[in-house]
Amino acid sequence: MNNATTEKRFDTWLFTGFWVGSSLLLGGLLLLPILVLLLHPQPAELLSLLLSRQLLDALRVTLLTSTTSLLLIFLLGLPTAYAVSRFAGRYRFIIDFCLELPMAFPSLIAGIALLLAFGRRGLFGQLLLTWDIRIPFTPLAVILVHIFVLAPFFVRRAAVLFDQIDPQLEEAAQLLGASPFFTFCHVSLPLCHRALLAEAIMIFAQSIGMFGAVILFAGNLPGKTRTLTLAIYDAFESNPEQAFGLATLLLIGSSLLLLTGRLLLRSRRIVGNL
Amino acid sequence: MSRLKFDINFRRGDYQLEASFAVADGLTLLIGPNGGGKSSLLRLLAGLEQPLSGQISIGGRKLLDTEQKINRPPSARNIGMLFQELALFPHLDVSGNVAFGLKARGVDASRRRQKVAAILARFEMSKYAGSQIRQLSQGERQKVALARALVTEPQLLLLDEPTAALDQESRWQFRRWLSEILRDWQIPMLMATHDPADTAYFRKRILLLEDGKIRQHGSYHQLLHAPTTPFVADFAGVNYLLGEICRPQGKLIFRSRGGSIFLAPFEKVREGQACLTVFPWDVSLYRERPAGSPRNQLYGKIQDVIILGDRVRITLVKADKLVAELSTRGYQALGEPRSGEMLWAVFKARESRIENLAVL
Repeated sequence: MNNATTEKRFDTWLFTGFWVGSSLLLGGLLLLPILVLLLHPQPAELLSLLLSRQLLDALRVTLLTSTTSLLLIFLLGLPTAYAVSRFAGRYRFIIDFCLELPMAFPSLIAGIALLLAFGRRGLFGQLLLTWDIRIPFTPLAVILVHIFVLAPFFVRRAAVLFDQIDPQLEEAAQLLGASPFFTFCHVSLPLCHRALLAEAIMIFAQSIGMFGAVILFAGNLPGKTRTLTLAIYDAFESNPEQAFGLATLLLIGSSLLLLTGRLLLRSRRIVGNL
Repeated sequence: MSRLKFDINFRRGDYQLEASFAVADGLTLLIGPNGGGKSSLLRLLAGLEQPLSGQISIGGRKLLDTEQKINRPPSARNIGMLFQELALFPHLDVSGNVAFGLKARGVDASRRRQKVAAILARFEMSKYAGSQIRQLSQGERQKVALARALVTEPQLLLLDEPTAALDQESRWQFRRWLSEILRDWQIPMLMATHDPADTAYFRKRILLLEDGKIRQHGSYHQLLHAPTTPFVADFAGVNYLLGEICRPQGKLIFRSRGGSIFLAPFEKVREGQACLTVFPWDVSLYRERPAGSPRNQLYGKIQDVIILGDRVRITLVKADKLVAELSTRGYQALGEPRSGEMLWAVFKARESRIENLAVL
């Protein structure tokens, strides 16, 4: 009896030590580099960097490309996600697999695939050249990378949101005389607008961080395709201090974006069924 | 006169529904056991399920005709439906919900406001116009859902178990309110229910759907006095006991699971399987074992007590169920027994109706 109690106590201690130790180790591993990065630059340095030409150029490119791709991803992704949720049926498994593919392979591969398709010697690239349209090494290429990598991810997540809508709400809308399009706009979309907004923020944050595929397919042209991430990479070779500063700024910006997304999803129900 | 006509053949897996009927203006109750097809029939009429073949028309306007390849979508059928779970839009307030159908039909904003205000006033819900759905009680939500279904002036109203989600008390209030409000609409209305109290209260035409088929239809009284299936008898609150007839020494005895019942020997029944119908108001209840003839007495436990306006319905269980109905005054005289208590029940054999069953 006494022995069993001791053994049990030892067990509990061991387990507590196990999870406390693991979480401290992992937490340290995550937080330490972030803290070092945040504390490294002088505030005055950051401020001057914030107003520098390089940063403003990169910021302009980043905002322009990321906003455009976000809009396009929503415009094309929402109807696609709705279709996946409602009509995929037993092919859903295959579709979900395809949608997860771009998340699984290195973004470098995405860049190579895009080059092969739209590059000067690529399949569509040649066709486009006949109309004098060049996609690689333009802001359009950055946008195309964002769409290629992030749209499947968005469609997958938005389809899950649409899955959660009570089908009776859409049936009720149709019986009240609403067309499927009216139902989509006035019932389905408003019901998950908060979750979709949070989704948009995540997409935006991820598109800002995109690197490998962008540098391969769009290049690193200042004022044209050099985004903030590429600017950090560039600065790292010529002026490491500047790279640290830029990284800190990007870290702060991304954290704020993530925080906004989290706050939007704080209400327990993601999809607003009653 | 019959405005809604349908003839539907539907199949899903092992389940099959074959129903053909004509429904006149006013309320018709659609009863039947759970899984008997009530909800499926309503969904088929609404166009939310697709039949194998069939026709549906309202006032001559064809909604479905599989031979002529006519199949209007739910949005073009002009049918109002009160879903069992109501299906109110959580992102819209009360007037937003009621106005939804008008907006979807392109009714302009001022006319919309006018109609919504009118129906909310009629439903005594004006003060809730700006309220969120989650702030309302179940009964109030039900009114909003009904207002939303009726404001578009549908040609048919379908109600799927409208009293099921309410508690006992509000159920009676809602029934009273509903029967009063529905008088304003001269359209066919089909209300699915599995609550016997609904049939007892509304006393309207009844359609019985069991095993995917219409087994019986008629007035409340027809169903009460000549139930054709145990379900109808149980539903109408009539006692329908199954048993066997035997005639030892010139006596006529009906043996059921609950015990033996002595019948008047002149009844024209053969030996063998039979059913005995006893009306609930012909059953008398006692606290103490009644003196006199020990025949046809049953000592059972109260399963439930339902108050139906000025009548009280008590269900006793021994092996079979026995339903007794008495006046509120009679119930008070008994000392208002509650479920779980034991009572004696007595009924006179000549007030029952016995019939041989066809060979089962």
